[in-house]
Amino acid sequence: MSTFLTYTILGLVLGSVYSIAASGLVLTYNTSGIFNFAHGAQAMFGTFLYWHVTERWGWPVWLALIVVVGLAGPAMGAALHAVIMRGLRGTADVTKIIVTVAVLLGTVYLAQWIWNPDEAHTVGMFFGAGAKITVGGVVVRYHEIVCLAAAVAIAAGLRVLFTRSRTGVVMRGSVDDPDLLRRNGHDPERAAMLSWALGSTLAVLAGVLIVPISGGGLDANALTLLVIDAFAAAMFGRLRSIPRTFAGAMVLGLAANYVLAYLPSAGTFTGNLRVSLPMIILFTVLVVLPQDRLRGAAVRTRERYRVPAVRAAAVWAAALVAAVYLYSLLLPESGVTTFALGMTFAIIALSLTVLTGYAGELNLAPLAFGAVATVVAFHFGVEGTGLAARMNIQGVLLAVVAAALVGGLVALPALRLRGLYLALATMAFGEFLSNMVLRDTTEHHLFGTTFTLFPDGSLVVPPLKVGPLDLRDGTTFLMTATVLFALIAVGLAALRNGGYGRRLAAMKDSPAASAMLGQNLVRLKLSVFMISAAIAGLGGVLMSSATGTVAQENFSFTGSLALLMLVVVAGIGYLSGALVGGLMAGVGSAVLVSTFGDLALANEGMATIYTALGHLVLVGTALVGMGVGRNPSGFVHDIIDGYRAMRDAKPVLYGAGALGAVLYVLALTDVIGTWTFALIALCAAMLLPVVGRSYLAERRTRPVPLELAGVDEPYTDELRARLDRELGLTAALEKGGARVTA
Amino acid sequence: MSLLETKAITVRFGGNTAVDDVGLTVDEGRITGLIGPNGAGKTTMFNTITGLQKPASGQVLLDGDDITKLSPAKRARRGMARTFQRLELFLSLSVRDNVRVAGDILRSGTRKRFDLDEETDKVLERTGLTDIAGRDVSDIPIGRARVVEVARALMTSPRVLLLDEPASGQTERETEAFAGMLTGLAAEGLAVCLVEHDLPLVMRLCATIHVLDYGALIASGTPREIKESPEVIAAYIGTEEASHG
Ligand SMILES: Nc1ncnc2c1ncn2[C@@H]1O[C@H](COP(=O)(O)OP(=O)(O)OP(=O)(O)O)[C@@H](O)[C@H]1O
Ligand SMILES: [Mg+2]
Repeated sequence: MSTFLTYTILGLVLGSVYSIAASGLVLTYNTSGIFNFAHGAQAMFGTFLYWHVTERWGWPVWLALIVVVGLAGPAMGAALHAVIMRGLRGTADVTKIIVTVAVLLGTVYLAQWIWNPDEAHTVGMFFGAGAKITVGGVVVRYHEIVCLAAAVAIAAGLRVLFTRSRTGVVMRGSVDDPDLLRRNGHDPERAAMLSWALGSTLAVLAGVLIVPISGGGLDANALTLLVIDAFAAAMFGRLRSIPRTFAGAMVLGLAANYVLAYLPSAGTFTGNLRVSLPMIILFTVLVVLPQDRLRGAAVRTRERYRVPAVRAAAVWAAALVAAVYLYSLLLPESGVTTFALGMTFAIIALSLTVLTGYAGELNLAPLAFGAVATVVAFHFGVEGTGLAARMNIQGVLLAVVAAALVGGLVALPALRLRGLYLALATMAFGEFLSNMVLRDTTEHHLFGTTFTLFPDGSLVVPPLKVGPLDLRDGTTFLMTATVLFALIAVGLAALRNGGYGRRLAAMKDSPAASAMLGQNLVRLKLSVFMISAAIAGLGGVLMSSATGTVAQENFSFTGSLALLMLVVVAGIGYLSGALVGGLMAGVGSAVLVSTFGDLALANEGMATIYTALGHLVLVGTALVGMGVGRNPSGFVHDIIDGYRAMRDAKPVLYGAGALGAVLYVLALTDVIGTWTFALIALCAAMLLPVVGRSYLAERRTRPVPLELAGVDEPYTDELRARLDRELGLTAALEKGGARVTA
Repeated sequence: MSLLETKAITVRFGGNTAVDDVGLTVDEGRITGLIGPNGAGKTTMFNTITGLQKPASGQVLLDGDDITKLSPAKRARRGMARTFQRLELFLSLSVRDNVRVAGDILRSGTRKRFDLDEETDKVLERTGLTDIAGRDVSDIPIGRARVVEVARALMTSPRVLLLDEPASGQTERETEAFAGMLTGLAAEGLAVCLVEHDLPLVMRLCATIHVLDYGALIASGTPREIKESPEVIAAYIGTEEASHG
């Protein structure tokens, strides 16, 4: 009995903290329409601040609370709103999610920069762990009473705010109809800013409260994932109702503690189950939620992508394979290996192109599907041992199928609902997998067989061998990965140009209209999610085997989110965006950070500067991600536009080609270094459109005879207007146009 | 029996009733008008008929079958097609692909095979869009964009076509051509339901007209009967005064 009481109280306390975190999430979501994936990250950052002022600077608790929870919390939220979030009105849901994901990553990188993750940071309870009372034989600490009281007060306060006060009513209305509010003399932006400030404060408070009751150790990643617990609770109220969120939080807290109390504690299973509970509950809630109202193209999104013809894609793919081969000749052995790793990330990135770029759905845990595939391939595809061990092709195929099937299972419950729910489900699944499978080091007995999912917490994944093709050799691996990337990319281009691709585009642009043409949206989303998961699975197996030995960290949520963010920054609608984004995620930041690390080791005097630069690169990528709201099509889009304009500047292109060839020969004969070559080539590629434009501008000054217009010159709007003028069509056109605007 | 029929449809948004106990019919081979002042509930009625909006009560019958519980996609496959007042074009596709994708969708679920390219060209020809087939839908004038929505709907070879203000934004010449096309479609046996604020156009094209006001059906009949109905006149004059005052 007293066990039951003890765990009930602990459950209610944990539920209280979840409730505080979750209500902050509900608040910002309802007022600004943005689901804040960085909510947990804000909690984490605030809690580190609290640790800093209390432990480092020795401030008293009350002062720390006033400054951190009372000032820094709201300031952080208000700043986020003012600088980033208010610019997101009218952007696609995907963009909104990516921006908050970038904030999440940026906050984590920043925290790891300021507070070295290798050192322990502990936060104590209010009034100390010894301050307690005993009620009916059960010990209750003062800190826990504070949690309970705060949660009840906050839930009641928010309910009153939402239902009774004018500000609250304005807050609720500012998502649904900001224009109406504006006409009535309210300011929806002010309401949104207020809710961000309040939401952020609640996050920080939840962080300061939860760390002491969950062991006291402050861990940037773990606390960032508080957002999953929070949204699991908020799902009970469909991300809208505060009282139901409160109830959901309590259910979550109690369930977590009863699992600890009553399930056998042998092995890793119970502990893993406990951390996975939010995800299990989340999926249950997803299944029972009623279907969403179908929505039309609610916003006129600013994203625009050009679709390549299959032939063009094939030519580019061949060029890519050739270029990678030529470049690999310049690289040392280790460089080839790193490059190959990057290429496997690019394959995983293609899974995002088809899912997000083509179909407008989101997967926040692409690496988790890579992990599923890796585990399957490891168990079913490895032949031989030690250095002679190889992965067979059946294992890889099985792994790909498994990834697709698991993808289907994960997506299915969320598909009836809006894209946000699918994103949440995938993120929760990623965490579930991290906890339940990648930490599952105990032996299981099932149907007479004994197996361990993740022996020793890491898997040694050998390279693939198909007939004479042995990927043990670095260059062979790189070229195989590149060819695979090229093949999948061409396949996706063909897919996008076919009926299936058009249907995806239609669903992305207007779910309502495509349903009204007879499209079964759930089936289409399911199929594309499975295709995407299969590609992620293939890339994942290759990534694991390129890495050699993989552990939980190789599939972490930060890795998945960073990959997604970089692909979006590069251009999620483009196959080349997948290439660039994947390479940046797989090689780019790793190489830059480790280069700075090496430099720091080599030059002790400059060590701090180099280490700082390394961190700066990471934070910088996140900053670029936050700016994606301004250029949602990605930078590849601009580059492609630049090059398209140059098709007529043939001499410039030939010149550039010649320069490239000369540089390459110089690099091959060791006259210039590989790095110099890469840098010059990169600069030249970036500058080429600029040179081409000025060349074209000069040529344009000589007007083309009208009869030849459009023959060897692109048929521009300007030209069309000129033709219209010459043919006397202007008057008629303007007459027609006048009525249109009426 | 009418091809499409609604029985006592009521739709509520929170406390306010947008459609109140409305029963109307749409017949094959004719154009049926649905008119009413702004906010009368016409679009809500369309949403309910097509399954985008769940009614609080009432039924939708197609060919005598109760389809109230069916999904929009299933209704579409039974021959229902519509256009949207707030355009719902597929902005990342060209004009031609906007039309063609309707064929792609139809073909994906069934074994029905036909030459999509040819079919698409025919529909484009008929709706007069051939000259802009290659353009992006995002940069054509709104009047033509509305025709693209009609063409897309026609691509599904529907039995019932619901048009929500298709002529707004069209030039006079475009409207003329559009009216001719509608008459032709009806003559071929299509059941057309037309929501339109251009009253002379409605009076000219429609065999039957239903009038909504504040969610209630206040009159149904021939254009002549509607023109003379005191309730209709009152409803329209009421809004005239409101909009002038
Ligand atoms: N999703 C919704 N939520 C709340 N109220 C709605 C919603 N959709 C429509 N309404 C309300 O229902 C009523 C009917 O709207 P509806 O759009 O059907 O009118 P309509 O006859 O199509 O008008 P219009 O001629 O302006 O297009 C209006 O008062 C409108 O404000
Ligand atoms: Mg309407």
